[in-house]
Amino acid sequence: MRKSFVAQNPSVLVFLICLSLFTVVVTVLAEGFGVGALSTSFIKTLGKTLCLCLVAIAMDLIWGYCGILSLGHFAFFGLGGYMVGMWLMYARTEIIVEGALAQGDIPPTPQEIIDGIGNQIFGVVGSSDFPVVWTFADSLMSQLLLVLVVPGLLALVFGWLAFRSRVTGVYLSILTQAMTLALALYLFQNDSGLRGNNGLSGLQNLPGVTAPQSAVSLWFFWASALALGAGYILSAWVVSGKFGSVIRGIRDNEARVRFLGYPVESFKLMLFTLTAMIAAVAGALYYPQAGIINPAEIAPIASIYLAVWVAIGGRGRLYGAVLGAAFVSLVSTWFTGGQAPDINLGFYTVQWVDWWQVILGLSFVLVTLFAPKGIGGLFDLLKREDKA
Amino acid sequence: MTHLIRVCRILICGALLALAQVASAQDTTAEPRVEPSAELSAEPALTQTEPGIGPLQSVLQEEAALITKASRKTIGPVIDHILSSELPGVPAFLSAWQNKRIWQRKSDGLFFVAGETGDRSFVLTDLDSDSVVGDYPKDALVQLKPNSGVRGLIATALVQFQLSDPDRATREEALVAIERRPGPDLLLPLRASVAAEPDPDLKARKMRIERLLSIAYDRDPKERIAAIEAMSHDLGVDVRAALNPLVATTLTTAATLPDDRNVARVLAPGSPQLDRLAAYDMLVAEDLAPPRRSSAEIKTLLATHIDGGRVGGVPVAQLSDPEARVTAYSALFAAGLVPPRVSDADIDNALASHVFFETYAEPDPAVTDAAEAALATIATRVGLNQSLDLGLDAISLASIYFLAAIGLAITFGLMGVINMAHGEFIMMGAYTGYVVQQVIPNHTVSILVAIPLAFAVTFAAGVAMERLVIRHLYHRPLETLLATFGISIALQQLAKNLFGTQARPLTAPGWLDGALVLNDVVAISYIRIAIFVLALIFLGFFLFLMKRTRLGLETRAVTQNPRMAASMGINPGRVNMLTFGLGSGIAGIAGVAIGLYAKVTSELGADYIVQSFMTVVVGGVGNIWGALLGATMIGTLQKGIEWLNPSNTLAAQTYMIIFIIVFIQFRPRGIIALKGRAAGD
Repeated sequence: MRKSFVAQNPSVLVFLICLSLFTVVVTVLAEGFGVGALSTSFIKTLGKTLCLCLVAIAMDLIWGYCGILSLGHFAFFGLGGYMVGMWLMYARTEIIVEGALAQGDIPPTPQEIIDGIGNQIFGVVGSSDFPVVWTFADSLMSQLLLVLVVPGLLALVFGWLAFRSRVTGVYLSILTQAMTLALALYLFQNDSGLRGNNGLSGLQNLPGVTAPQSAVSLWFFWASALALGAGYILSAWVVSGKFGSVIRGIRDNEARVRFLGYPVESFKLMLFTLTAMIAAVAGALYYPQAGIINPAEIAPIASIYLAVWVAIGGRGRLYGAVLGAAFVSLVSTWFTGGQAPDINLGFYTVQWVDWWQVILGLSFVLVTLFAPKGIGGLFDLLKREDKA
Repeated sequence: MTHLIRVCRILICGALLALAQVASAQDTTAEPRVEPSAELSAEPALTQTEPGIGPLQSVLQEEAALITKASRKTIGPVIDHILSSELPGVPAFLSAWQNKRIWQRKSDGLFFVAGETGDRSFVLTDLDSDSVVGDYPKDALVQLKPNSGVRGLIATALVQFQLSDPDRATREEALVAIERRPGPDLLLPLRASVAAEPDPDLKARKMRIERLLSIAYDRDPKERIAAIEAMSHDLGVDVRAALNPLVATTLTTAATLPDDRNVARVLAPGSPQLDRLAAYDMLVAEDLAPPRRSSAEIKTLLATHIDGGRVGGVPVAQLSDPEARVTAYSALFAAGLVPPRVSDADIDNALASHVFFETYAEPDPAVTDAAEAALATIATRVGLNQSLDLGLDAISLASIYFLAAIGLAITFGLMGVINMAHGEFIMMGAYTGYVVQQVIPNHTVSILVAIPLAFAVTFAAGVAMERLVIRHLYHRPLETLLATFGISIALQQLAKNLFGTQARPLTAPGWLDGALVLNDVVAISYIRIAIFVLALIFLGFFLFLMKRTRLGLETRAVTQNPRMAASMGINPGRVNMLTFGLGSGIAGIAGVAIGLYAKVTSELGADYIVQSFMTVVVGGVGNIWGALLGATMIGTLQKGIEWLNPSNTLAAQTYMIIFIIVFIQFRPRGIIALKGRAAGD
């Protein structure tokens, strides 16, 4: 008899309980709720971290479960952010422009409003016309749909091309890296239609919302927690069924699965597209909290860091990805944010801002060499001790 | 003709003593010479024998007033007058005048060439006879000081003499002067001097300049057309500079097409060449049509005529509708309150009643046609040469990619190790070069030291990395990728901590400065040639190493089947270590080469790493010729795309990567794919 989903995946229940507790505690302590033990900027950092955990889960699905080391998932993350950012920027600029034009004696024509918005948004790249990609920017619903559609479509086309020609292993990794590099370089151009290297900014201001940032940050924190919970359940469900078995089979011996009659390429393509969409949702929640998105965000290095998080957290287990992303990104923020105290060695002062990267890089080598299971491996040790 | 040289050296001691020394030589001049037996008295200075007023002197005396007060505007006819006398002394006089060596004697206003003898006294020489007239104190003389404008005109007048001067250097100088300041009056003297020119090189140059001058200044259209056609195969920038003014056009408008102008073409308003509104604005500028009102102006005008919540009878609230604005404005216009609104129909009517055309400044259509044809011919040839230049650029970019990728072709291509820190080895090589240059200031020596040192440093780093990290991960390629990436970010940050974030210079030796210039279009810098040569050397070295040495043999054996190789007595660990060190060492040398032409920063290697992997993957793993082909393809492609869209190198890289992704579809194993068992998985 089939066991129930939760019984099959005890970690889901544990994870959801932890996440809910965490959310409640943070909410109670938050500035927006009244206690004020946690500042608004820290709430934003936590909310962003939850989004990074979500994209790490996507990475774990494609790498840890299917063995495809994608070095391009931050491209989907960034695209999701861009899609939401377009609406945020358009709607907020529209309110500002309408307000400014309403000051005049004569009410503005629709064309004047659109020209005004165009000037505001694209003035920095020396243009005032709306590019084609902004066609749906005035509608929140269509942009939210595009958050899923655009990265999904990109993943579908790229994955179809790549898997069809049986590019595997490190070649596929390099190819995905090339994809994200190409996308970043494209977006860096001023005539790409997305404001070149200026990116989209002012995303933290929700159009038409007068609530203070302390409240808005909590809303996004809740949304991020919700998305992470949902993403976790979805991922656990995906990997626990027959689909998950095939995926793991592909990871362990692709040729054997193919000879058993499974359409390996379709499975990989489906998973690749699904993870791209999860990454896009994470990005769509992340960038309104970050406030700004620009092409540097999707440079190849970002995607490699994503792999680093998952590797440190522990591949092939969903909670590992979450732990790794949360741990490394929070510690990174702490060290590079200048909060960590410098160490004075007498002859040399170790400044963590300078040396954190070195330590991160080396610890990464050490984890790869000596702890291939990452932090998640610790749980295995605990379990074994329980049994013993 | 030999001249009588007579030197009179007169010393004036106070106003008392005079001594004349006379040295004499043969006298072959026609003119009788008078012995300047001189005795000097106190006041003012004693004049010696007067040779009388010669023909040149008399010409000069006729123009004396204009010569002494020479100005650029008035001196032209004077110089013409002097030239037209065709006297033998004219060139010498003009040259002396230009060099401010002509002095006028105050007592009688005669002009002489004067040479300072010291102690504020001058020896004067007659212009016609070249004979010494005597010594004079400075007080008795006035120097002619032509300003730069006048000197320029004198120089132009002198050119015709210099062009047939017996001294080759003088003739060459004259040509340079003509090239620098071409003018209509230089054409005839130049043309006259061509036939008698003995030096073939100078003759060719003279003919070329003569044609250029003909194109610009000849009065006879046939001569000009002939010159234009003769020059239509010349790639020089100066030829295009001479032809372009002939085909320069101005856009004008009139009610009907005039007959007396050399019309280049008629433009229809609204066509891609002439925007409809721009055409209308031309009419406005020439007062042929009333100005347009922009929507912003109309809005302002409407706002100034709000009357009780209404404008021209239309409620203000309705004015967000463009139609309502037109109605309101028409009502205001009917009431005479605002100037007319120019509607689209008005613009069309105004445009329909005028023609817009481009006219040449040059009136002769035959000349402009010939110039257009010649420019078209030149443009074709320039295009061909530009593609040659582009090809050279592509080769040089390809050799840079090849240099960056060749180490990777060993470590990744042969050993299958994904080394993400390869770029950082390149960076280490470049920084080694920089440090060596801080110690050894001589650039040539420092580069010669830096190359082996860079090899040693990165070889050691590579061996250390292989022993400590990669050795343990040979069966887990994806994890090698991640581990080496960790090393890469650590090394990058270390370089930042050590050398700072600003770019460090790695200066090439002086003999690598400059460029090999083939013609005005094609040029390639020596440093790029050096990089190309270095790439070739590496290719040769690699082939020699792999095919002719014991290490190469062992490497190939270990690559193909490590266990079989081991059972044949080869130590795979040692071979792997050496091979990896070798690949890393070559990356270091490539770093020195790349640092020579790019600034050395901690991100230097990261800029090349993706391209390097692309090069190896596209070319085909495990084959040096594949890496070469891959580099050539990527370099050519990138240059080609840049050429199509020169303003945007970012786009070029984007499209190149997309192309590579598509290319991998068709040749997933690269251009040169290994076949059979060697292909492995």
